[in-house]
Amino acid sequence: MERRSFLKSFGAVAAVCSVGLPQIASADEAKKVVGPNEMSYDNAVAAITGGKPVTPSAKVVVSAPEIAENGAVVPVKVTVESPMTSKDYVKAIHVLASKNSNVRCANIYLTPANGEAYFGTRVKLGGTQDVVAIVEMSDGTFLSAKQNVKVTIGGCG
Amino acid sequence: MRNLSISAALICLALLSNANAEEKMSMSDADKAMYAEMLENNPADMDVAEGEQLFSGMTTLDAYSKMLGVKEKDLPAYISGFPRYVDAAKKVVTLSQTIQMAAADAGKTVPKLESKEMLKMTAYVKSLANGKKTSIDVKANAQMKEMMKLGQEVFEERRGGRGLSCNSCHSPDIIGQRLRMQPLPDLGVNRAAGTWPAYRMTKSETTLLDKRFQQCMDNALLAKIPLGSREMVGLEVYVTNKTKGNEIQIPGLKR
Amino acid sequence: MKTLIKIKPKEYKVGEVVKIDFMAMHPMETGMRKNKDTGEIIPAQYINEVNFMFNDQLITKMVIWESLSVNPLFSISFKVPGEGTLKVIAKDNKGQSVETTQQITPKG
Repeated sequence: MERRSFLKSFGAVAAVCSVGLPQIASADEAKKVVGPNEMSYDNAVAAITGGKPVTPSAKVVVSAPEIAENGAVVPVKVTVESPMTSKDYVKAIHVLASKNSNVRCANIYLTPANGEAYFGTRVKLGGTQDVVAIVEMSDGTFLSAKQNVKVTIGGCG
Repeated sequence: MRNLSISAALICLALLSNANAEEKMSMSDADKAMYAEMLENNPADMDVAEGEQLFSGMTTLDAYSKMLGVKEKDLPAYISGFPRYVDAAKKVVTLSQTIQMAAADAGKTVPKLESKEMLKMTAYVKSLANGKKTSIDVKANAQMKEMMKLGQEVFEERRGGRGLSCNSCHSPDIIGQRLRMQPLPDLGVNRAAGTWPAYRMTKSETTLLDKRFQQCMDNALLAKIPLGSREMVGLEVYVTNKTKGNEIQIPGLKR
Repeated sequence: MKTLIKIKPKEYKVGEVVKIDFMAMHPMETGMRKNKDTGEIIPAQYINEVNFMFNDQLITKMVIWESLSVNPLFSISFKVPGEGTLKVIAKDNKGQSVETTQQITPKG
């Protein structure tokens, strides 16, 4: 009898939770699915820089939520401090998602006509990972910044 | 003594890390602000724009207003009061249903409630009321009173093998509790009806409020109440009334 | 492919830096999703190139990958040099292409 009522109340909880238990998605746990443009982080960086050094810099700011409730739509903004003159400007902003099957998200080639070095978009993240911006300056140097985004899975479909 | 202080420290540490864990499960205000900013670039804006084209290819706002028995300049205020009793229909109807009536009046093919065209046109028509406050009046007449009562019954009726009702997850006394890490929203405060149709990021598509109800029923393994049925309209009346006075901002953006 | 260009703020002067937000309705298929009914992999289809031009001069060139969200947003800055036509050309890997234009008319 007691067991029954326990099962009953347990059942009620289980019913509400039937859609699944809370979890934090992690790229390590998730089965790796390989897409048509698969590329690792190191290879992507090498392709961008041609092996030149990349310096983390406070001039580059990557804005993305620390927690994303939905990996399918993660807002990302990259800004770079630069006068954007023909002598000194940001040539390119490369946005990478460190653990996606294809880490490349976007390669943005700017010109002084932009006035400010900025790119905004929304990315899909297959799990918790870093959103990285590799920035190529007009003098040929590379700067970078990153923001870790924790992707949670939850809620009602 | 030493042991004691170490274990006390450990407990403190454990508590601290727990508190941290709890904190880090939720979006910060800065995170939320980033999502709020996305409203300015809501993909559903494109659906609203297309809805306007579809609507004007079908009828005019002038004819639509006449059918509803209001002056065109009063249309936004009138739209903010849906679902409502409409004379021409002789019953309480949703905005989508008035678009069906308008199509029939114009001698055009009547779009299905489930269709993409209907979704886009409903989003457009409701967006005419942007900035107004939801002004549903559930005591306006006997029909509204009846639909409100029916809606509450539907909201609270436990159905399906698991005996779940809308109220199981959306009763005011469990607001804020978590279901799969998401805090359960207060349908009233969350501007539920003022911001639907909305773009749902989970599905990457724009959805109507009643279709969202159906998705919720699907998730809870309940038979889906058909769109346009008295029960579904009643449910929309009941939930919309919870958000009465909230500002209309179409299209909305939902997780 | 439906598209939308927004300039922010709506009113601007010559020399002012504005934001250009370009949105496209596109499935951005990764090639990693399966059709739930048939079990077959849905082929990758994604916007792979977006070019922003002002009076036919290239302002910004973008190479895009499948990691961007469905119905993607591309937002850049632009220092308004004067009156003219902004043209955004978006292409996907299946050869679909769309050109969207927007008049740039500074006030003052």
